[in-house]
Amino acid sequence: MRVVLLIAVEIAFFMLFVAFMLANQMGMIVAFLLFFILLGIFLKKWEKVNRGLLGLFKERRVLSTPLFIFLLLTLPFFFKTSPYLIHICVMAGLYAILALGLNFQLGSTNVVNFATAASYGIGAYTSALLAVHFHISFWFGILISGFTASLFGLLLGIPCMKTKDYYLSLVTIAFGLIVYILLINFSWTGGPNGIPNIPPPLFASHSFRDNLNLFGVHLPFQSNYFYLVFILVGGALFVAHRLHHSRVGLTWNAIREDEIAARCQGIDVTRYKILAFCIDAFFGGVAGTVYAHYIGFISPENFAFIVSVVVVTMVILGGMDNVFGVIIGAILLTIIPEKFRAFEDFRLLIYGAIVVAMLMVRPQGLFPQKLRVYTKS
Amino acid sequence: MTEIIQQIINALLMGCTYTLIAIGFNLFFGALNVVHFSHGDVCILGAFVTLILYSLAKFLGLLVILPKFIYVPLMIIMAMIITGFLGVFFERIVIKPFRYAPLLMVLVATVALGIVVRETVRLSFPHGSNPQIFPRILPQHSFHIGGVLLRLDNLIIFGITLFLIAMMFLFIKRTKMGAAIRAISQDGEAAMMMGINMDRTVAATFLLGSALGAVAGILIGAYNNIIRFDMGLMGGVKGFSAAVVGGLGNVYGAIIGGLILGFVETFAAAFIPGGTPYTDVFAFLVVIFFLIFRPSGILGEKVYEKV
Repeated sequence: MRVVLLIAVEIAFFMLFVAFMLANQMGMIVAFLLFFILLGIFLKKWEKVNRGLLGLFKERRVLSTPLFIFLLLTLPFFFKTSPYLIHICVMAGLYAILALGLNFQLGSTNVVNFATAASYGIGAYTSALLAVHFHISFWFGILISGFTASLFGLLLGIPCMKTKDYYLSLVTIAFGLIVYILLINFSWTGGPNGIPNIPPPLFASHSFRDNLNLFGVHLPFQSNYFYLVFILVGGALFVAHRLHHSRVGLTWNAIREDEIAARCQGIDVTRYKILAFCIDAFFGGVAGTVYAHYIGFISPENFAFIVSVVVVTMVILGGMDNVFGVIIGAILLTIIPEKFRAFEDFRLLIYGAIVVAMLMVRPQGLFPQKLRVYTKS
Repeated sequence: MTEIIQQIINALLMGCTYTLIAIGFNLFFGALNVVHFSHGDVCILGAFVTLILYSLAKFLGLLVILPKFIYVPLMIIMAMIITGFLGVFFERIVIKPFRYAPLLMVLVATVALGIVVRETVRLSFPHGSNPQIFPRILPQHSFHIGGVLLRLDNLIIFGITLFLIAMMFLFIKRTKMGAAIRAISQDGEAAMMMGINMDRTVAATFLLGSALGAVAGILIGAYNNIIRFDMGLMGGVKGFSAAVVGGLGNVYGAIIGGLILGFVETFAAAFIPGGTPYTDVFAFLVVIFFLIFRPSGILGEKVYEKV
């Protein structure tokens, strides 16, 4: 009985999401959003229902998680006539990777970083240049650019160790702007025109720019990237989850709570902060690589300051240090502005207003961090 | 030699605008310990307000009736007042709710406010994404002294800045409200216990800072003859950099920081071959190096951390 309820609830939520994505009239979209908000308030008010559902999901994890993954994997089948929706999902996934990376710093360690766009861009440019000039395959490129971005993360981390709070945010903003200006002005990166014709990844002689044939269904080429990003987000989630529950995650939290106290406990604060910088940059580099090969064209505009701001707001609005919340934040803040594409011109304005309003209504984020639970296991 | 003097003049001019923006950052930081990240956008908003006033005056035919030396100062003062009150308004709706929240919240909220201001400006002007022509409100004469080209408008910009900075110091040192501003920047709670109206003083600080910022925006417009909606982002970061290099919260620091930034940029553009596109890079590198060796700026107080 409970199993049936669980499956029903999960499928119902999934169908709601699909219907929301497919909705293309402004009235419908607004109605859906209102419905989601009301649902959220309802779940918040009727704690019994909320806790019962959550308990059910936890209890039957063996069932609920695979079902969830399976449902997500079927998404491209629902959107096969509108590749644009799959594109949105891919972008949401990339932003989720960026936000998960930033969460190590902003959420776990409370180190502000407004240079996400820099590592994103460095990753994208590294693998794009390697692919265009040296024909290095995507699969190598993604690793190389991840490590290159990490190296730059290290470089940024060193001056950041000396500074705190606002000063720190200024250093990261300055770093992001330096990378942006250099990308515009260097001639070997294509300058303001960027790099065109980046080859798509090949997987066992299947080019990612060809349509995907799955079980006899033709899916638009974006689905290739959907599954790729799906695997990467899964990987990032796994790493984030493991790190959060490891000694490293605990150390980061200790630094966040009180840096001096942490130092007194014998924690090498500098090392762990720099580690956070490097891991964040690695995630950024990976996301950048996928973006570059997916779109096939990159220019400095894709890595402007605003991208960093967007990722920071995703982490804050989703819920700092809550891996699940961060992903939800990334997905919401990618999808909702895209659904209002009709008001293309007002997109950023609406975005800014949403951020200010959400910060006022829920300063702790949609899903605030949970207290660490220590259980014998 | 004349080349160097010429560049020094340019550097001073650039330093003036950065100083005016940085003073705002320092005033706000002193009063509330916040960084009002959209301050740069508020400054450029000042220039756009001037543009509106100018168009309005032109439409009403006032430009023909009134001589230039009357309507230009009048316009600047009106723009200062309007922008000042807009600054107070922004403080009330966006910064005040986060007065006791973590630093990060107000930082992100003001960054988002910056987006809102920028986009509003872009959307409310016809072809707002393109640069807008800024009226030549300053006289364009120039003269040579010993081979150095002096432009009258540059001198006026310089003079306005000096005058405003002097007036601001007088205000802060001599008036009751100035004393209140100094008091809340030393210790907000103690100041409130002494009967200082916190909200009113903070409002005065934002009025002052935003009005000075508006002048910076107008000067940028008058110097370049164009303004664009997104100039505020870079202006804000530069002003913030100047404030940090000088020492956040210290109003004198703003002057030093602004000048340092102005000199670095001008000299990098003038004396490093092929350096012109990279001036901002040099400026930011200098800022980062400053922060490595003097993490709290030149005049900033040394912060002692406590557990």
